[in-house]
Amino acid sequence: MRNQLENIKQQALAALQSCQDSKELDALRVKYLGKKGELTAILKQMGKLSPEERPIVGQVANEVRQALEEALSVRQTELQSQALEQQLAEETLDVTLPGKASTAGGLHPLNIVLEDLMDIFQSMGFDVVDGPEVETDYYCFEALNVPKDHPARDMQDTFYLGENLVLRTQTSAAQIRVMENRKPPIRIICPGRVFRADEVDATHSPVFHQVEGLVVDKGITMCDLKGCLEQFAHEIYGPETQVRFRPSFFPFTEPSVEVDVTCSECGGKGCRVCKGTGWIEILGAGMVHPNVLRGCGIDPDVYSGFAFGIGLDRLTTTRYKISDIRLLFENDQRFLEQFQGR
Amino acid sequence: MKVSLSWLKRYVDIDVSVEELCNRMTMSGFEVEGVENLADTMSRVVVARILKMEKHPDADKLTVCQMDVGEAEPIQIITGADNIFEGALVPAALHDSHLPNGTHITKGKLRGLPSYGMMCSGEELCLKEADYPGAEVHGILILQGDWAPGTDMREVLNLNDVIIDFSILSNRPDCNSVLGIAREVAVVLGKPFCPPKPEYQTVGGDVHDHISVRVEDYDLCPRYLGRVVKNLRIGPSPDWMKQCLKGCGVRSINNIVDITNFVMLETGQPMHAFDLNHIKGSQIIVRRAADGEPMTTLDGKDHTLTSEMLVIADAQSPSCLAGIMGGLDSEIEDTTRDLFLESAKFRRDNVRRTARSLGMRTESSARFEKGVDIMGSAFAMERALQLIHELDCGDIIEGVIDCNAGLPERRVLTVTTASICDLLGVQVPEEEIVRILQSLEIETVLADGVLTCTIPSFRDDIESRADLAEEVMRIYGYEHIVSTPIRGVITRGRRLPERIHGDTLKKLLCAAGVREISTYSFISAKALDQLGLAEDDSRRQVVSLLNPLGEEYAVLRTQLATSMLTVLATNASRKIPAARFFELSKLFQPYELPVTRQPDEVPALSLGFYGPEEDFFTLKGVVEQIFDRFQLPVSYTRSTEPYLHPGRQAAAMAAGCDEPVAVFGEVHPTVAARFGLEGRVYLAELKLRPLFEAAEKIRTFYRPLPKYPASVRDLSLLADATLPAAEIEKAIASAIPNVLEKVELFDLYQGKQVPEGKKSISYSMTLRASDRTLTVEECDHAVSRVMKALEKIGVTLRQ
Repeated sequence: MRNQLENIKQQALAALQSCQDSKELDALRVKYLGKKGELTAILKQMGKLSPEERPIVGQVANEVRQALEEALSVRQTELQSQALEQQLAEETLDVTLPGKASTAGGLHPLNIVLEDLMDIFQSMGFDVVDGPEVETDYYCFEALNVPKDHPARDMQDTFYLGENLVLRTQTSAAQIRVMENRKPPIRIICPGRVFRADEVDATHSPVFHQVEGLVVDKGITMCDLKGCLEQFAHEIYGPETQVRFRPSFFPFTEPSVEVDVTCSECGGKGCRVCKGTGWIEILGAGMVHPNVLRGCGIDPDVYSGFAFGIGLDRLTTTRYKISDIRLLFENDQRFLEQFQGR
Repeated sequence: MKVSLSWLKRYVDIDVSVEELCNRMTMSGFEVEGVENLADTMSRVVVARILKMEKHPDADKLTVCQMDVGEAEPIQIITGADNIFEGALVPAALHDSHLPNGTHITKGKLRGLPSYGMMCSGEELCLKEADYPGAEVHGILILQGDWAPGTDMREVLNLNDVIIDFSILSNRPDCNSVLGIAREVAVVLGKPFCPPKPEYQTVGGDVHDHISVRVEDYDLCPRYLGRVVKNLRIGPSPDWMKQCLKGCGVRSINNIVDITNFVMLETGQPMHAFDLNHIKGSQIIVRRAADGEPMTTLDGKDHTLTSEMLVIADAQSPSCLAGIMGGLDSEIEDTTRDLFLESAKFRRDNVRRTARSLGMRTESSARFEKGVDIMGSAFAMERALQLIHELDCGDIIEGVIDCNAGLPERRVLTVTTASICDLLGVQVPEEEIVRILQSLEIETVLADGVLTCTIPSFRDDIESRADLAEEVMRIYGYEHIVSTPIRGVITRGRRLPERIHGDTLKKLLCAAGVREISTYSFISAKALDQLGLAEDDSRRQVVSLLNPLGEEYAVLRTQLATSMLTVLATNASRKIPAARFFELSKLFQPYELPVTRQPDEVPALSLGFYGPEEDFFTLKGVVEQIFDRFQLPVSYTRSTEPYLHPGRQAAAMAAGCDEPVAVFGEVHPTVAARFGLEGRVYLAELKLRPLFEAAEKIRTFYRPLPKYPASVRDLSLLADATLPAAEIEKAIASAIPNVLEKVELFDLYQGKQVPEGKKSISYSMTLRASDRTLTVEECDHAVSRVMKALEKIGVTLRQ
């Protein structure tokens, strides 16, 4: 019987080695270890043995069973990993084929740039406010110290809707509404759509966008204005950017300045972009005109303030080197999808 | 304002380079828009003497000339001109020369013989008779005087000047003049300013014996000055004056006309010269025109005037459109003997309106529109008379007519130096402040830190401390402004709720693969017809622009669909296979028409989809996502938008809103075709206020995760094909409100094996109780309750 057991063990181990898949393996398990298997059949004859022999043969039989079970399990693991390897090999892909993208949407380039501006100014404590696009003559002109006979009020430049109603020509109109409704200290920006009766061409659009800024507090000076705009310029154009003021004129600020930054294309050396000057004009600014403050019920002898107006469309076209402003309003998908955030 | 450097130098000593001058002027508020160096317009054109002329052996009309061009050997030049002669001095363009008309001359061969350059005509040098005598003669320009051969033609023609174009800010009309700019140059360079000091002699007499002036409308003409000059001696102007005018782009005509132009450019005060003998009744009346009064201006154009227009009339009819242009009849001619000279101030907005409505714009009207100095009118008159005297063009009659309704006092401002420095944030030394203001001709007295400033009349723009601060700073230099962080209380920058909600919406849409567009706020009035909106549709209540750029931009939009359709059409026509766009913008809804108040600006969103993957439900999916995100429960019903497919459109209704929050669907093929769109296109339009209001109410709290397992039961149903799915879902939900967690459609089928007029519709129900595991019996019971409810609306289990 011992020999029989030993034979079964040898046979089974040999069979295991040549076994090639888990089905065969299962068949072997049944053949040797199953209820009707060979080892079980032998163990069933144990009764015929003498009581002395029984434990000895029993031990041998258990050893054989253990060895077989172990070998089965090892072989099973081997086969499983072989099968897995084969499956993985079969699943090999051409990794150079193109990916399957889920189409992403995106913001309009004007609003990508606006998001940046809002972040910068919010971090400097400016609230972002909105104002109506249809304004009264008072808020668009009169309260901004634009006199009745000023050419800016002419029908040539301003879209009129009624005697007293216009499409706002600048976001500065919102300044007045804020100053009427809030007490200083005031720090706001007002982004928005503005309108001027310009015929459409590569650099003009009757609809464009501005971001108006306003600070009113005690002791605000032109140095605060420069500090504020320098910080803005550093965020937008890089930390090496220099800012300079050039005298200018706007009815609602006094003194008024044009603000230039060193040309980011040539770093201020002079190139085609800056027409050789080394400087690029980016916005108009100034100290809020005392008449404007007074009109809003703010005492110009106690408070002072500054205001600035950024042309969002121009900032956008220069940032992305867009050659024609009309592209912004044409909305060709192949144009829009070029702007994936910052 | 274009000014020649040589003209400026008549009043101020300029000892810096043109580049530095331009830079310093730019930094003091006079931006230089362009610099034109006249010498750059021509090169290698020299004076040449014709030594010998011979006929060309092979061409009858060509002459072979040996020319002395100031070099050791004569050169040969061949010409076709026939007005030349041996010994003549002519301009010769040498090999590799450039002419002012842009031509590049090189040596070449004419009929076999070499020619080493070209003799030039006046026309080729861009000269007119007034620039050089004989310039318009057909043929080569024969030079006058005795120039040495080889002399640069630029020297002969005085082309050594530099023309600088200054941009003049609208608060500085005084600088639309050479003297105004020269004054600024003097201040910037720290040099004395030397304006002319008018002096002249009269021949006696009395102006009042020759003419009388009556101003009827002082509101439009606050000042009117007149003088008389007799026995005109009209002739050419001297070269220096021609040169000055030419630099400003003004052609010389004759000494009298040139003087009026010269004085206008020099002082900024337009002058007008009348033929005294053409003034009927020897009377000048400054009055409003009669409505319908006719007039012919000296450009030959006929005008019909209105009572809003000011004219200078004689006893009979208008002789001049005040400040704009003279009449044909009173024009100065070569035969004019006596002159009436006008220097006046007309109200700027009136000149502007008249000029605009008549479609005219002249150097004179441009200056009156910007504003002239009421006190400067007298100076300009004096200056003109000085020139008339100096150039001996006539006999000046004694006496001046000066009609005015009172002349203004000079403004006096009192401010402290400290308040100026406080605004600037820079400590400008007191003596520097005084020096700067004085140099700008603002008489300034300093006592104990208080400045008393008397403002000259030509600086009407200076009204307050801020204006004085600007004057000080622009001369002191803006480079002295140092950057400081904004002082004051630190505040947190916030956005308004509407913007925050808009941002949320945009983020959601971007994630859903939708791209933002931006379109104009005004559209064509016809767009509403293109959409097929009914006559009484409220969206036809549009605000019109009084002065639109054109029909296509005539009205403010009350819907976003037309803009979106236009953009979709643009993309489709460019063969872009698929697109998903959104636009977040404002609709303009008037409270009344015509508008007297600001209209309601209603925030709205439009979605526009097209492409092979898109259908009604891909659009609805995005719409649903929006309502889910803003937690605004809506129900969907059929809608009746005329521009949408009648069977494929829906409205989203929210509780408490009469108007739909959203209307969406497939675009009606007829409407799509009107926009040039061929395939199927999908549009949605949402009103955002209900969404934003809902967003304000969102309060998020944790809900415990379910403790007990769910059971899933599938139902395969048979329903009338026309029964909306929403009805079935509603019936299911109301039958078992306590145990139904969700119900999801998973199959919809019509066709074979389904009876005619029916549809097979399958739902998966997830059943769960919060306090126990549902038993099989409970689930079965739920299903039978659902079926009972469904049978009431004719829905049965599919066998």
